[in-house]
Amino acid sequence: MNKSKKKYSMKIKILIAVSVLMLSASCSEDFLDKLPETVVSAENFYKTETDFKLATVGMYVPLRNLYGTGLADFGAWAMGEMRSDNTVFIYNYNNRGYADREYVDQFIDDSNGGGVSNKYQNDYIIIGRANQILSKIDAADFDQTKKNNYKGQALFLRAFAYFDLVNYFGSVPLTLVPPTSYGETITPQSPVEDIYKQIIADATEAASLLPTKASQDAGFVANGAAYTLLGNVHITLKQWPEAEAALLKVQGYSLLGDYAALYDPANKNNAESIFEIQYLDEPTANAASNFAYNFLPILADPGVIPGFPSGSSNTYAGWNTPSPELIAAYQPGDLRKAKSIAFYTGEGYNNIPYIKKYVTGAAIAPNTNNDWPVYRYAEVLLFLAEAMNEQGKPQALTYLNQVHANPRTGLTPITISDQTQLRDLIQEERRIELAFENKRWLDLVRTGKAIQVLKAQGENIKANPQKYYYPVNITPPASSYNVSEKHLLFPIPEREIRLNPSFKQNTGY
Amino acid sequence: MLKSLPIPKKYFYGLLLLFFAAANAFAQNSNITGNVKDKTGEILPGVNIAVKGNAGGTSTDFDGNFSIAAPAGSTLVFSFLGFQSQEIKVSGSNSLKIIMSPDTKSLDEVVIVAYGTQKQKNVTGAVQTLSAATLKDQPVPQLTQKLQGKLAGVQITQNSGIPGQGMTMRIRGAASISSGSDPLYVVDGFPLQGNLANINPDEIETITVLKDASSTSLYGSRASNGVVLITTKKAKAGKSQFAVSIYTGVQSIPSNGLPDMMNAQQFAQFKKEIAIERGQPVAPEYANPQQYGEGTDWLKAVTRDAPITNYSITYSSSGEKFSTSIIGGYNKVEGVLLNSSYDRISVRMNSEYKFNDKVKIGVNAAPTYTHNKTPQSDGIWYNSPSIIQSALLTSPLAPYKNADGTIPTTVGWEYGTAASPNWYNQVQIIKNTSSNVGLLSNAFIEAKLVKGLTFKSNIGVDLGNSVSDFFSPSTAGSIFNPPNEADASRISGAHTNQFAYSWLWENTLLYEKSIGSHNFDALVGYTTQAAHSESASMTGSGFPDNRVETLNAAKTIKGSTDIQEWSLASLVARLNYNYKNKYLFSGAIRRDGSSRFGSDNKWGNFPSASVGWVATEESFIPKNNTLSFLKLRASYGVTGNNNIGNYLQYANVVATNNPFNNQLLSGSSIAGLNNNELGWETTEQFDAGIDINFFNDRIRFNYDYYKKTTDDLLYSVDIPISSGFFNYTTNIGKIEFWGHEFSVSTVNFTGPFRWTTDFNISFNRNKALALGTANAAIYGDMTITQVGQPLGQLYGLQWDGIYETQAEYDSSPKHEGASVGSVKYKDINGDGVVTNDSKDQTVLGNTAPKFNLGFTSTMNYKDFDFTVVCQGAYGNKIINTAERFTANLDGTFNVTTDVANRWKSEADPGDGKYGKASGNTGPERDWASSKWMYDGSYLTIKNITLGYSFNNAGADYLKGLRLYLSIQQAYVFSKYPGNNPEVSAGAGLFSGVDNTTYPVPRTLAMGLNYNF
Repeated sequence: MNKSKKKYSMKIKILIAVSVLMLSASCSEDFLDKLPETVVSAENFYKTETDFKLATVGMYVPLRNLYGTGLADFGAWAMGEMRSDNTVFIYNYNNRGYADREYVDQFIDDSNGGGVSNKYQNDYIIIGRANQILSKIDAADFDQTKKNNYKGQALFLRAFAYFDLVNYFGSVPLTLVPPTSYGETITPQSPVEDIYKQIIADATEAASLLPTKASQDAGFVANGAAYTLLGNVHITLKQWPEAEAALLKVQGYSLLGDYAALYDPANKNNAESIFEIQYLDEPTANAASNFAYNFLPILADPGVIPGFPSGSSNTYAGWNTPSPELIAAYQPGDLRKAKSIAFYTGEGYNNIPYIKKYVTGAAIAPNTNNDWPVYRYAEVLLFLAEAMNEQGKPQALTYLNQVHANPRTGLTPITISDQTQLRDLIQEERRIELAFENKRWLDLVRTGKAIQVLKAQGENIKANPQKYYYPVNITPPASSYNVSEKHLLFPIPEREIRLNPSFKQNTGY
Repeated sequence: MLKSLPIPKKYFYGLLLLFFAAANAFAQNSNITGNVKDKTGEILPGVNIAVKGNAGGTSTDFDGNFSIAAPAGSTLVFSFLGFQSQEIKVSGSNSLKIIMSPDTKSLDEVVIVAYGTQKQKNVTGAVQTLSAATLKDQPVPQLTQKLQGKLAGVQITQNSGIPGQGMTMRIRGAASISSGSDPLYVVDGFPLQGNLANINPDEIETITVLKDASSTSLYGSRASNGVVLITTKKAKAGKSQFAVSIYTGVQSIPSNGLPDMMNAQQFAQFKKEIAIERGQPVAPEYANPQQYGEGTDWLKAVTRDAPITNYSITYSSSGEKFSTSIIGGYNKVEGVLLNSSYDRISVRMNSEYKFNDKVKIGVNAAPTYTHNKTPQSDGIWYNSPSIIQSALLTSPLAPYKNADGTIPTTVGWEYGTAASPNWYNQVQIIKNTSSNVGLLSNAFIEAKLVKGLTFKSNIGVDLGNSVSDFFSPSTAGSIFNPPNEADASRISGAHTNQFAYSWLWENTLLYEKSIGSHNFDALVGYTTQAAHSESASMTGSGFPDNRVETLNAAKTIKGSTDIQEWSLASLVARLNYNYKNKYLFSGAIRRDGSSRFGSDNKWGNFPSASVGWVATEESFIPKNNTLSFLKLRASYGVTGNNNIGNYLQYANVVATNNPFNNQLLSGSSIAGLNNNELGWETTEQFDAGIDINFFNDRIRFNYDYYKKTTDDLLYSVDIPISSGFFNYTTNIGKIEFWGHEFSVSTVNFTGPFRWTTDFNISFNRNKALALGTANAAIYGDMTITQVGQPLGQLYGLQWDGIYETQAEYDSSPKHEGASVGSVKYKDINGDGVVTNDSKDQTVLGNTAPKFNLGFTSTMNYKDFDFTVVCQGAYGNKIINTAERFTANLDGTFNVTTDVANRWKSEADPGDGKYGKASGNTGPERDWASSKWMYDGSYLTIKNITLGYSFNNAGADYLKGLRLYLSIQQAYVFSKYPGNNPEVSAGAGLFSGVDNTTYPVPRTLAMGLNYNF
């Protein structure tokens, strides 16, 4: 009796222990599902109109890095402007840590440079975000007008980014749908022709889907931007009639009366502006620009430049300094000169030039509120002048003079009608009107003058470095400015070559 | 039939016998009493006494007396940690006088293993145990510091001297690509989320390191990096004990290993010379370098000799039913860098209550408070104002204190180096503090259900709350960005608050059974653990001035919050079997389900098996004193590593806002790709070992060979950006590890002069078998990992001296900007030009040591004791990146004195190490090369301690008193020119790169242990 009771109680104990084990084991299924609480998961996105609106805004973010937010983002201006004869740099005697920017100017850059990865990566981030939208938007169910608008913007930005890539890097992968697996992330390079075909198709479709500027929210691209891009592509490909046709469709824009007003943050997205990169210096927005600081001379106190607060040294600066050639290229009486370039004397500098266009002050160093002008109507007029001139059409001169002899320049109309002479004058006009807007290098490349012009400038620099703002006894490296065919394209960033062994580096790098 | 014994008055079980505490019975007992002492005549309380062949037993009381019922003719086994066990046959004599011989280990000793205990001699895995006795004396705040040099196959390095931080532990060369390589730390059965930094070392009773798969597989998906089991002190038998231990000392930076920077005169001379070499006018302040003397030694200016103090008070008491142990500790470490410190207040209370001889409960609770002051000391000067490197680079001409006693805030350009803050000021004005409150606590109930069957349920929680504050006034800055007090926009502040907890519930059933000579024990269990943490961080800007340092003064406050959670549900099972303690077998399995993995891969199984053969138990091997023990063992098993972040399997939508026409609009973008198949890393490990003892165990030799293959490495692989993303988190890649571990412990002398030595050496090797996209090599900061080669080799250009002459220049391959007198690199691919890319970059050296060794020598002579602990590594290479700046030829920074011997002309080429200061210095300064690479071998005398014990038995107020002197980090033998050859070790793929760290101080301390 006692024995069996004992046995019984043992059984009870074991039963209790086993049921505790079972109980603790039973709560497992939900227990192991921990979804992130602080973010939306991708599977629940790209469904509603709001989702696509948010995604559209997100597409514009890499543009800010592409054109220069933060001190590491120098690809656009270093490769687009400083590489050309328009600007050089101030040799930074005391801080040699930014030499890869110098290399871009000196034509001794390589695939490890920060500029190429800045450009390459941000272009593809734009493309990746555009691809996400384009792959999902047709299946979503919401208002067709809004759908067209978002789709048009995605197509425009994808075309714009590919155009930037093909211009600077040549043959790159043409990714048009987002990858869904690891295997799909590796794609081969596409021929340049295929990339151009896609750019033209995307830009054309974007132009047909996008609303006019008047009915688009300020700062977002309208159909004028798509037509300008299309025109630009055709100009680059020397397809003059197609360029003319596209550019003539850029409607609803006009030139501002004051050249300086174009760059004033108070006039963002003005009547002349077709596509500009949007920045904001509100501290919590984290969206300020700071290229103006980069372009100043290196100063212990940038507060000596009117508009900037007194404060920390900009030892990272001294870039994109107007070259003596550019300064000399302004015609006497051109009102744009003083609005584009200023000079500073002091802190060891004697009349050192710097870009004035973007110097409109700052509230907190080094954050500025300047937007970056990508396309404005003056360029459309000059593109039209070029397209007409190449086709031997007399309207070329009219378009050229709309810019050249605009009251804001203070210059008189050009009367020359010889096609060859006019060709040079149009390029000269582009150089002045669009100075420091990252146009010059690509213009030199597409007109076939890059090698000759930059070789010549390099020789001048080596012969007289101090004229190009080098300190006494400092000279550029012997191998610099050895400009050749290879330099018409930039090297593909080293990272991409490593990740895809079938990738072909551009010739010569 | 079965009849329980009346429980003896002083019935008490030592911790190590917990599992054998089943009820016992035997017939015809006689009561044996006696007394136990050690060889010096000191009484030994707490010695376990058991009747051989029966579970249960008793232990000596505080006066060393015991009383146990035992049948005549049976054998009593006396065991005590740190002493050799003794077996005494019960004969007529009722009063026994036992003298126990000390020993570092005993084979009958019970060691803590995963989810239980096991007799050392029956262990079939690769397991090493250290007891508290081997960890005393060292004047250091962290437990891991005390383990250095003492464990075979465990590489423990001090990467930085920041007080209370900087330790890395790697078991068997553990390395992963992107997931953690730290072992799993388990304290009293509770797997920690973090490390051991904030645990008071005085609370530790034993540490067991589990190395092979059979010993770790019960920890399943967290076991790949090895497991460290920590047991904390429980009350030992005896009435009550009260002990105080105190040490206090002073820490200082050893003079060897510091870079030899130029003094004021040398620096002025350097500035003068480079101006002349460049054809520049010599600034008047450098025209006459003789006018200067030593100038400011900036490293000295920001450092100091600093005190360290530690108090520990232990009280323990145990009665028939209730026992408790309380340990209170206070540790205060002032750092050798000004304004750095570590304070810790800790309490641990471990209590047990026995309802009867079948059921007991226990509660352990250990609250801690720590406070850190950590100026931004480590790293490259431009990443944050890292004070150590920045100070080295600052002009010795500049004063850190003016003649009138005022402190300047700035070192201006006029002193010849880049404008910077006054580091002496900066180190004191930047506030960077954190306070942590933690509670590690668990409660258990253990019940013996029927004979041999024990149920245990354990609930635990690890709570932590930490608050960090940061404030940087306008008088702070960095190199090239000197302070500007008037510019209030420079002021910034931050505040972070984190609350985290993890809880554990574990239920296990253990069944032990012997049938004849077959001995079994089987364990099954179910365990769940979950963790939650939430944090809020705020940054402030727009402060009006430097007066108020809290964020309420900021005009703009930005904040964000985060929540992280994970959960783990698991089943465990193990079977141990032995036949006559001769043939040993163990099999174990854990099944883990984890929230961290993709929906297609939630559960994983981690099995292991091991066998052992105790040859000396065989009748055909004669038992003798020469060969006293021989065991062969082998194991194989699978373990995992889930040490990645949470939620990695999900692609998330992140905020990407953008302004349009001056208005910030909300935006969103997808931040990655989903991976439903994401799983743990799998490591298959084979281990074979041999344990041999000679001469009555006076020489003990252990050897282990292991080979493990880690597959499905968790890796955020780089993918081409043309996909729109930079990375994809997946299981890819495969690494092979193998190695040999030897340890030898010897008792060299016994008697009045006793000398023991412990030596261990381990050889760890690895090789990458497969990597990410296209097997693309993984690049770190000057490192490369490629298929077929060891992980994380140093990578860069091969330095080839200087183009010393025109002839050499003309006949050599050149890089962009090269000229006579400039740096020369090898043209590896032979294309005639040198380029700083993969064409000429090459593997420069291996960052993993060829072997690691440790050595401990302990001598006792009468009342004196003398211990030396050494640790070393041999054959690894380190790149000292600081030389990029400390040997900068531009004149921007202060430089090391040997830069004076740079190339100046063909006639004066210097010592061939540095090129000319004129021309293009970029390639010498910026291109990573073997020029900065050094042999990282070292042998460090980690600790020397000399102690004296006063044996004054009899006085009530003084049961024991010991005084000692101890030197920690006594001397580093190394050719490495940086300050710490242990820097950057254990960083896996990215080891071997020294970006300048807080120096590891030498500590001279005196201490006392007082028992009453």
